[in-house]
Amino acid sequence: MNKRKVTLVAAATGVITGVAGLSLLAMPAGAGQPPSLPDVSAESLVQQVLTSKPGAFGGTVEVDNKLGLPAISQIPQLADGKHSARIWTDGNGKFRAALPNGQSEQTIVNDGKTTWSWNSQDNEVTKAEHKDEPKAEKPAQAESVDPATAAKQVVELTREFSEISVDGTARVANRAAYELVLTPKASEKTLIREVRIAVDSELKMPLRVAVLTNGTAEPAGTVGFSEINVGPQDPKLFEFTPPAQAKVTTPEAKESEQGRDRRPELGLEQALQGKDPQFFGTGWDTVVGARIPAEAMTQVPAEAQGLVDKFTKKVSGAWGSGQVFTTKVATILIADDGRVVAGAVPEQVLFDTIGHVK
Amino acid sequence: MITRQFGSEVRWMLRRPRTLIGLFGLILVPIIISFGIWTAGSDEGGGGPPGLGAILQGNGMVVPIFTLFLSLNLLLPLVASIWAADGLAGEAQHGTLRGLLVAPVSRVRLLFVKLFGLTAMSLFAVTLMAVVGIIAGTAFLGTDGMMTLSGTTLSFAEGLLRIGLFILLVTFQMVAIGAVALAVSSTTEHPLVVQAATMTTIIVFQVLGQFSSLDWLHPFLITTGFPGLIDVMRDPIPLGQIGDSTLLAGCYLLIGTGLAAMRLITKDS
Amino acid sequence: MTTSTSAPVTAPSKTAVAARTKGLRKEYGSTVAVDRVDLELPEGAVLGMLGPNGSGKTTTIRMLLGLVRPTQGEIELLGRPLPEGAEQSLPHVGALVEGPGFHPFLSGRENLVRCAAFEPLLPRKEIKQAVEDAIERVGLAQAAHRRYRGYSLGMKQRLGLAAALLVPRKLVVLDEPTNGLDPAGTREIRKIIAELHEAGSTVLVSSHLLSEVEATCTHVAVLHRGTVVAQGELTELLQAGGSALQVITPDVESALSALRQAKISARPLSDGLRVELAGTSAPQVIETLVKGGARVFEATRWKTGLEELFARLTEAEEAERGMSAVDTLDGGRR
Repeated sequence: MNKRKVTLVAAATGVITGVAGLSLLAMPAGAGQPPSLPDVSAESLVQQVLTSKPGAFGGTVEVDNKLGLPAISQIPQLADGKHSARIWTDGNGKFRAALPNGQSEQTIVNDGKTTWSWNSQDNEVTKAEHKDEPKAEKPAQAESVDPATAAKQVVELTREFSEISVDGTARVANRAAYELVLTPKASEKTLIREVRIAVDSELKMPLRVAVLTNGTAEPAGTVGFSEINVGPQDPKLFEFTPPAQAKVTTPEAKESEQGRDRRPELGLEQALQGKDPQFFGTGWDTVVGARIPAEAMTQVPAEAQGLVDKFTKKVSGAWGSGQVFTTKVATILIADDGRVVAGAVPEQVLFDTIGHVK
Repeated sequence: MITRQFGSEVRWMLRRPRTLIGLFGLILVPIIISFGIWTAGSDEGGGGPPGLGAILQGNGMVVPIFTLFLSLNLLLPLVASIWAADGLAGEAQHGTLRGLLVAPVSRVRLLFVKLFGLTAMSLFAVTLMAVVGIIAGTAFLGTDGMMTLSGTTLSFAEGLLRIGLFILLVTFQMVAIGAVALAVSSTTEHPLVVQAATMTTIIVFQVLGQFSSLDWLHPFLITTGFPGLIDVMRDPIPLGQIGDSTLLAGCYLLIGTGLAAMRLITKDS
Repeated sequence: MTTSTSAPVTAPSKTAVAARTKGLRKEYGSTVAVDRVDLELPEGAVLGMLGPNGSGKTTTIRMLLGLVRPTQGEIELLGRPLPEGAEQSLPHVGALVEGPGFHPFLSGRENLVRCAAFEPLLPRKEIKQAVEDAIERVGLAQAAHRRYRGYSLGMKQRLGLAAALLVPRKLVVLDEPTNGLDPAGTREIRKIIAELHEAGSTVLVSSHLLSEVEATCTHVAVLHRGTVVAQGELTELLQAGGSALQVITPDVESALSALRQAKISARPLSDGLRVELAGTSAPQVIETLVKGGARVFEATRWKTGLEELFARLTEAEEAERGMSAVDTLDGGRR
């Protein structure tokens, strides 16, 4: 009788443990107790962030995106939802990023001389040899998922136009961090309410960036480490040998190939990344403007036009007419004549600015 | 004594005609996949299958992993559910469960004998598929080591290690599903009920997994853990998802085993 | 019926018991399958468990083997309480319950090997020999290599018996062992039971074939409607069953009235009457009849067989519920 009861209890305990385990797994990783750290002034923290030189590290970055962006074919990781990427850097410009996309993966390796970009989906490697500069810039795609770099840029660009404060502490990727908050000054006409940057208390390296917009409590977007190990990384990570079966191309070749099956968003992307973008204003409400070549505008296929229509709203005004595309943090206005303006601003600002686009 | 019982259990499972037919079916999968990729390769082009399938061409060592990954969605749970169904419900149906209980085999031990049989046979089936996958893959598609999703190329030995790891991970998922199926199996005398219940659950889970409006539910579904196992093919291996999937399966294993034990102990036969 | 069938007829046992139950009760949901079962199985006895279908024989046996947990009551098997002592006592018990259960895709021999692998008392290296011996013993040598799927009912039954006899047992429980067997097979089973008895094993046989039990058993327990209505040594029970006189006479009417006047109970039969000898004797009955003017052609002692005892015990209630006494009596005589 007793033995039977003991066994029953043991079995029931097993079931309960299993259920509890499931619930634990289902719970989002708790933020945990905020660490207690010595006070630091906002000004000095900003200084330290800007001057800090993140050394070698490797980690996993989680991107939680609620911006309302449609998926862009080349950076599916930036579409709405949660994505993760793994990045490694040796602190001296060598870099590796692994961007999983479902069951395939895009790997970007900068070995110091060459930037390799591998996509398992096409079994294709793009090889970009660095011409003059020995320490090449990180590729834009990789940069966009590295919170440390992204945060630094935000701070650099906006510090004069922001109220800066330190708002408590946080635990990010199991490291103690200060929460640096940049709030646009009242004079800034922006959609953004504040940007919160978690700065590592030891390394002064940004670990997480969260963008909050007006009218919502949840961040519209968060980029942050979920796991990080600081210190020298395996040098093998910064080497890349194209797989035997893969097709190796150069960026130039790839571009001309892409020209053949030009996709509608490509013209917009190029215009926005722009060969020579024009900037209007300063600070948070900076607007970037460009002109899409007329041929690109006319090349938009009908079905793609439908897609564009789905995400945009037709507008017109003294400046002309066009379509406006709104996300939580940014607005894009495309005039029918090919002028494009965009910024982290309400659409009225764009209407006022578009007239200046040359 | 227990080793003798384990041995008898596995021998018994291997003597079943349907086990042999099932195993034969399983080894066809990697052969068909290798052959399919091989023929698709000769006429070149025509956007390959998504995900892992894209790197199969000329990369035979990936065939076992691709095969197991595909089979984990339906085929392997089906096999696990058949074994679990025959293990308790089938024995009850033939009246042989009574014989075991009066032998006597204690009910807890009986459950462990069944779990062992399930584990051993799952491992055997998965390994068999992998080995046939390696042979068929290298024969049809050739190999210079194993190319990962990250674009790196692993040596043959490293590739074998990856396959070995994947075999263990997939087996564990199978055993977890089988344990839950055993719990169902302990409540009925009809093996088909067990298979139907298990497969329906797996399919419903996968359908539920498609609805993003139900994403609060997804972490509870064992099927949510399946896709993450593909991380074995990334380099270096990210352990996060693999760990989560395995823990998820572990929870199912605990729940299934616990429920089966509770039912067996209180059951009248 | 005037015999005292309401209280269980119990002949006390003198020897040690192989199994004993006390106040056993089993409920399935709201139905009570077995209630107040106090069973005693003396060591070395061959106990025949009798009862109509649904009387609770199989449920009692399943509880005795630890397959079913009683709702109430205690069980002692080979000196140990059940289910706690199951692991110690059950290895010494061989059982064939509710028909043989085997895997259809295995041969008879393979099935036995699988059973043997789970026998705690059988060392690994003796398995092969034990299996062959058991096959030989039940006369399955010719069919042992064939798949169980193709076995006849009798062969299945023999294989079940073989599984119960894989190991020398202290107690062998056989639930309807002759089911599906031809007369030759039935004889063999009897022989095996006799052998077990000789070897000192205790045997529990449940059957609805009374002749079966009468021929092989030393003890009897009668179950009816989920409870034991009689148990004890076969001979004692038969003696305690009361006696009667069968009188062949053409003058039934006058015979009956004469007996009624003498306060002797009697019932008419087709060719005479049956006279209860309770409180009277045969010569007295004959004297009364002759004095009453009835011509007595023949008077014989009514032989109380197990069949009649069984009928009396199990059909008493039906009789009380309004079935005619004559029907009952005829049933008992048949």
